[in-house]
Amino acid sequence: MIRLYRVSKSYRDVAALQDITFNVGKGEFCYITGPSGAGKTTMLKLLYGAERPTSGKLLINGTDIAKLPKHDLPRLRRNMGIVFQDFKLIESRTVAENVGLALEVLGAPRERIQRQVRAVLNIVGLRGRGNALPHRLSGGEQQRVAVARAIVNDPSVLLADEPTGNLDGAMAIEVMEILQAINLRGTTVMVATHDTGLMQRFPYRVLRFRAGRLESGGNG
Amino acid sequence: MNVAPHILRRAFRSLWENLYLNTVSTGVIAAALLLMGMSLWVQHNINSAVSSWTRDVHVSAYFQPDLPEPDREAIRDRIARDPKVEKVHYVTEEEARTWLVERVDGLDDVFDELGPGVLPASLEITLVDSNDLDAQMEALSPWLRDEEFAEVDYGREWIGRFETFLKVVKGLGATMGTLILVAALFLVTNTVYLVIYNRRDELEIQKLVGATTAYIVSPFIVEGFVHGLVGSLVALVGLYGAHSVLSSRLEAALTLGLVPELSFLPGAWVAGIVLIGLVLGVGAATVAVSRFIASAP
Repeated sequence: MIRLYRVSKSYRDVAALQDITFNVGKGEFCYITGPSGAGKTTMLKLLYGAERPTSGKLLINGTDIAKLPKHDLPRLRRNMGIVFQDFKLIESRTVAENVGLALEVLGAPRERIQRQVRAVLNIVGLRGRGNALPHRLSGGEQQRVAVARAIVNDPSVLLADEPTGNLDGAMAIEVMEILQAINLRGTTVMVATHDTGLMQRFPYRVLRFRAGRLESGGNG
Repeated sequence: MNVAPHILRRAFRSLWENLYLNTVSTGVIAAALLLMGMSLWVQHNINSAVSSWTRDVHVSAYFQPDLPEPDREAIRDRIARDPKVEKVHYVTEEEARTWLVERVDGLDDVFDELGPGVLPASLEITLVDSNDLDAQMEALSPWLRDEEFAEVDYGREWIGRFETFLKVVKGLGATMGTLILVAALFLVTNTVYLVIYNRRDELEIQKLVGATTAYIVSPFIVEGFVHGLVGSLVALVGLYGAHSVLSSRLEAALTLGLVPELSFLPGAWVAGIVLIGLVLGVGAATVAVSRFIASAP
């Protein structure tokens, strides 16, 4: 599913990631963790193609992201859901419109969008909130909208960058339970977090980064 | 899978949600096209006036006073046979005097006192192609010999000078028009860029969920098309309004024949203005989104 072999990323002369090698299997759940500046976010950016590796191989479903032409990035992302700490919701759009965006860009017909949006809002526990605007929702609910958007087109990989970073304990657990449920449906989930409490409560494989290097958890 | 309905919906929604900035874009295009249209309207009407004046212009060739009448008629017939000549009218001294006396009170007595020979007989020659002054002079030069004609008056000479002036005016108009359009393109581009900048988070999210560049860009192009279309139509309505007001204000001068009848721009020019509006709107949107895409992470 996801294979990295000796991946490095530098910004000018500053190395953000060095010599990273690991594999993540289909349907696996794993954490990317480490202190601030360890390279967690850079790692996720490489995975969703916002950044290119300076060297090494990064394969997702057999496609080398390092060599992927820029115009093929949308195709990669359509098979991938991404969740951010700051939710990244469009404030002027309703919950349903935010979630439906991932299907809209595929050109899905309206009826199908409405049907699938209703279904994923049920999964994340936001039944009947489709017409609400994001600022009317709590932080936990907003993050659940972001998760719904990430899974509405049934991606094979879900990447989450500090998805519980802005949430209190109870809300963070709710969101983690949803991610766990999504993983149980067969989706590969990678969560970048430094919340050790959550990692203990939801124990999965941990890829530990420090100063741009993979300290533990790699299996490559 | 068809993204077109989504793109159109997004475009029209954005037009509504960013009404102020969209109105500014449309207004700038309308103002630029109105200025350009006014300039074209002035040029069009001056051209029409010059064409109408040149149609009525002929060469007056005044006979030598001592040239016998049969010779004059023979010269007239000779010139009339030239295929470049449309018609030749022989104006006798009496006809010239009658024409003048009818128009100027009291001249009859003056002519009586001066006696015969004051107004020479002449030929009024109209050429098939009266627009080209050089061709006109060249066509007539073999016929207008000094021993037969005392003076030749090319009525078109002043029009030639006027046409030179008109060319300068046209050149200035074209330069001004280009500058106005470039300024409008700059203003509209920046206004559209502001709209895009306002929506940068939304565009970033679209990219993250797998939107293609075409999908992200297309609604702005549609918006640019609408700006151009509406802007050009507003400009044309304004231009027609100005034309109607000027036509009615100049009604008195038109009746007296001092100014030829004013006409609105021909259909092809109107279509041209709409086309320029569309190019301006779509072009500005394309430049703005290209700038944004190039600078986006």
